[in-house]
Amino acid sequence: MAKKITGYVKLQIPAGKANPSPPVGPALGQKGVNIMEFCKQFNARTNDKDGIITPVMITVYSDKSFTFIIKTPPAAVLLKKAAKTEKGSAEPHRNKVAKVSQSQVKEIAQAKMPDLNAFDIEHAMSMIAGTARSMGITVED
Amino acid sequence: MKKYKEFLITSDPFNPDLISGVMWESNISGINEEVNCIKVFSDDLSLSLEELKARLQKLKNESLLRNFTIEENILENRNWNKEWEESINVIEVSDKIVIKPTFREYNPKPGQIVLIIDPKMSFGTGEHQTTRLVLLLLDKYMLKGARVLDVGSGTGILAIASVKLGARNAVAIDIDEWCYGNAIENSALNDVNNSVDIRRGEIKDINETGFDLVLANIQKNILIEIAEEIYTRLKPGGLVILSGLLNDDEAEIKYHYKGLGLSFLETKILEPWIALVFQK
Repeated sequence: MAKKITGYVKLQIPAGKANPSPPVGPALGQKGVNIMEFCKQFNARTNDKDGIITPVMITVYSDKSFTFIIKTPPAAVLLKKAAKTEKGSAEPHRNKVAKVSQSQVKEIAQAKMPDLNAFDIEHAMSMIAGTARSMGITVED
Repeated sequence: MKKYKEFLITSDPFNPDLISGVMWESNISGINEEVNCIKVFSDDLSLSLEELKARLQKLKNESLLRNFTIEENILENRNWNKEWEESINVIEVSDKIVIKPTFREYNPKPGQIVLIIDPKMSFGTGEHQTTRLVLLLLDKYMLKGARVLDVGSGTGILAIASVKLGARNAVAIDIDEWCYGNAIENSALNDVNNSVDIRRGEIKDINETGFDLVLANIQKNILIEIAEEIYTRLKPGGLVILSGLLNDDEAEIKYHYKGLGLSFLETKILEPWIALVFQK
């Protein structure tokens, strides 16, 4: 018989660097999951990803066991990666720190479609472009 | 006790991907996405509410948010694993090695070694295959009177087991504060505190060399990073047992460790995890 699901936990942590401090500890601890076992598995599966911010969805079962899936990094993280910049700008309107092309915006929008509350790809692209502007990343025509 | 900042953010529309991505521009350690809010955590107590508020305001300026709220709490670190800990049972790793928490009773059979481990938030309870693999290999390879180094020692279980299996002494080192305190407690529970030397730090902080056996249950990248440090601390003929590895990691680990001149002796498997043994 399939195990009963008792809850889901969604976290974002750097790849290969899960540890029992918050958010992992409090989020999984209250569900009775063995925190250290999650950290061990997560780190083993993501330690090649160079510390990139990694969303992970954990399914918790009635016997306190768990499974997890790794998801695509948040749009802002993908934008910085595409623009080859470590950080956005503190003053996005005055100081532009990097550039991305329309095709890169489209690529990110497509990858992030399932996670954005967007009606269609154009809407998703405008959300990604807006995020880019808020970080001082210029979107080229 | 270490403290953390927790920021609770709600927004209209609620778009956790956009908000969380922008939060990573600040010095934060992680995010927990709930159904209708996101919780942002940071161990940097100088991170201000205003800084995160300004990032949200920028999203609002781009019309990506109509409204948002943000509040700040201080969180004290504690044993988050407590609820899970209460469910730990006695684990028979082999006919010879048994692990139990203090609150479970067990009557050992003649010749059995019982390890008493209360893990709190440290790794190494014997529930996990990576720990079991090393314990099984320790039983096979332990030499009476050996000097052992356990790197990334967690609960201290492997160092404690080494002494109980015949090692003269063991040095257990871990970078984590919790592990350090927890390993001291566990070595006292097992009455081996005179033979297990628990330290906080990294392998490079170990000045001694000439160990008969080095144990490291960590993860692939770190095991590759510290390969040379392990090598220099082993005596000729000494053994190294590596764990925390998945099936796919085997070739890369072998490449690096054999490249240092170590001979490969064995792979032990408990799917999907493996442990490897090399000799200097």
